[in-house]
Amino acid sequence: MLSLLENNGALRWLGKQLFNREDPAAFFDPLLASIDPMLVRQYVPARVVDIVDETADTRTFVLQPAPRWQGFAAGQHVNICIDIDGVRHNRTFSLSCSPRQWQQHGTVTLTIKRLPGGRVTNWMHDQLTIGTTLGLGEAFGEFLAPELPEPLLFIAGGSGITPVLSLLETLAADDFRAPVTLLYFVRTQADVIGAERLYALRQRWPAFTLTVVATDEGRTPQYLSDSHLDAVPGLSARRCYLCGPQGLMDLAGDLLYHRGIDEHRIHSTFFSAPKAALPDDDLGGDVRFERSNVSVEASGDVALLEIAEAARLSPKYGCRMGICHQCSCRKTSGTVINRVTGKASGPGEESIQLCVSVPQGPVTVDL
Amino acid sequence: MQKMNEAQLKELEQDLDAIRNDVLADLGERDAKYIRKVVRLHRTLEVGGRVLMPFGFIPPVFAAATLALGLSKIIENMEIGHNVMHGQYDWMNDPSLNSQTYEWDTVCTSDSWRRTHNYEHHTYTNIIGKDRDYGYAVLRLSDDVKWHPGHFLQFINYILLTVLFQWGVGVHELESERIRRREISLKSKLPFLRDFFRKGGRQAFKDYVFFPLLTFPVAPIVLAGNIGANLIRNLWSSTVIFCGHFTQDAETFTEEECVGESKGHWYLRQLTGSSNFTGGNWVHLLSGHLSYQIEHHVFPDIPAHRYREMSPRVQAVCEKHGIRYNTDTFARQYWTVLKRIGRFSLPDRVRRRFEAQPA
Repeated sequence: MLSLLENNGALRWLGKQLFNREDPAAFFDPLLASIDPMLVRQYVPARVVDIVDETADTRTFVLQPAPRWQGFAAGQHVNICIDIDGVRHNRTFSLSCSPRQWQQHGTVTLTIKRLPGGRVTNWMHDQLTIGTTLGLGEAFGEFLAPELPEPLLFIAGGSGITPVLSLLETLAADDFRAPVTLLYFVRTQADVIGAERLYALRQRWPAFTLTVVATDEGRTPQYLSDSHLDAVPGLSARRCYLCGPQGLMDLAGDLLYHRGIDEHRIHSTFFSAPKAALPDDDLGGDVRFERSNVSVEASGDVALLEIAEAARLSPKYGCRMGICHQCSCRKTSGTVINRVTGKASGPGEESIQLCVSVPQGPVTVDL
Repeated sequence: MQKMNEAQLKELEQDLDAIRNDVLADLGERDAKYIRKVVRLHRTLEVGGRVLMPFGFIPPVFAAATLALGLSKIIENMEIGHNVMHGQYDWMNDPSLNSQTYEWDTVCTSDSWRRTHNYEHHTYTNIIGKDRDYGYAVLRLSDDVKWHPGHFLQFINYILLTVLFQWGVGVHELESERIRRREISLKSKLPFLRDFFRKGGRQAFKDYVFFPLLTFPVAPIVLAGNIGANLIRNLWSSTVIFCGHFTQDAETFTEEECVGESKGHWYLRQLTGSSNFTGGNWVHLLSGHLSYQIEHHVFPDIPAHRYREMSPRVQAVCEKHGIRYNTDTFARQYWTVLKRIGRFSLPDRVRRRFEAQPA
């Protein structure tokens, strides 16, 4: 019934008048949440229905989103929001299951590796229990399967396998006939994420070739090299998908470029662990003001408000000393240092005061 | 005002910053739980009040429904809206509790409030001529303003202001006194007026048109109850706010004193320009913890329910620096407000003679 307040134009208008908010249905959330957290409207709630160990530091979380969730295409990612110690954290993860699982069982999976020092991933591993709910955003991303069958090469590293698992299972279920090769780089064989699923795919899907490279198991580290690519038949005709740590992505991009593979046929999805903020890191960085479509480079101890003004933007402001919150706005990504407290922010989306926030590395602001 | 040199002010700043940093470092689950509990209480009272109101033809139900709706508005305005808009809960990163997007259940638009209250009043607290909250340009509360015969009637103005408080606050940014003095043009206020009419219309539509019509056969009862609820909120919130800055010993400042002031001086001004009152748990909740107005002015963006536990440390700092910490019972503080309104309605000559007599 509350969805009417969201979807019916007239009722939504009325709801805004009555409850003084842009999302009138969420007015009732505090009451609904105490009946059942799956009833809230502010975000799409998803219940954790199972947690499965993949490797020593990676787990798969099976989620059951509320039915109004819109679904996804293989290879896409989602934002999730989680309240940790009173603070809401937003993070992006790839969905690691095929869309069929959502269509048939109403569940989706996120496969998440612990990041050293990462607040959200560690909390999810240590504190998140079956039965609790978290917020799930709508899926997005362009790391998608080809529309027509053609030979494919996937190069994945570590937990970069997650969207690839989703793509492979979808292709296999569609009985994709063109050759598909996966080069999967892991530290040791024990670090293979989704091992059972990958080996099962190899068993039942003839078009699929799986090569797992354990980089740390030989006498010398084994990184992606020409010899790996030489072993892929008909490489130049393949559409390529890259997902992994920055080093692997750069290396793969270079090698494929030298083999003359058109860059339009190379898909990569952004995957980099948020860098833990260090106090001695240099201040400043590339600042992007999203709504104004302005990017500037800042250096040193200069607050975002001054950076914005120097870029000829005119954000709202008041005291310019961190008291009045007139200049508060959303930071969508990146780390800032609060000049008053000296503390570093998290890397995700959150509200900051422009007048006392100094960028530390690249920052994107909703301004 | 208290004279302190820059070294002393620096020390004051450090002492208060230490309190602030301790609490900031401790913010977390407890604060999130508290504000969510208050929001849940607000929803319960509002939904309960609105559902009961049509049954108000039974007198006790009418009283209960009106009281529930009145309390819901008080809690929403004082403990949720005012505090959320100060950015007290921005650290929670919950879009529903965000200082810049929160819109409260009263005539004044949140944007206007953030400009006139968060910025002007909290930055220029009690500076005569800069803090328009000091007397709301309606009341003469210090001899910095020259007396004229119109001030004889200011007690009537006070009654009108307190009864219609949400409309007074809503129209505050119009700066009608400056328009009358031709310092600014009415035209420059057109964008403000457009927002004022939109929000005022929205509030009036909700309480005085929509809900009465929705329950048509008992519309007069619902209308009366909604008026009553708004009145309860107006009387209470104006009284709480008046007790925060207009008590007998709350100090005022001149612009000259505050030119290029240090953070320490700003702190001193907040400490001496504000006043607290004591009371039970429910008094603190319903006042949005403005019963700790001093702590609120020193730490406007710290979650207000923390003021109570910060208060002993603030008092100790005041004692150390020889600064008066202005607190008393609600009744006594309010009485000094009424006396102040009365006294300054008189010509200075009469008032001084009156003040010379022992009370």
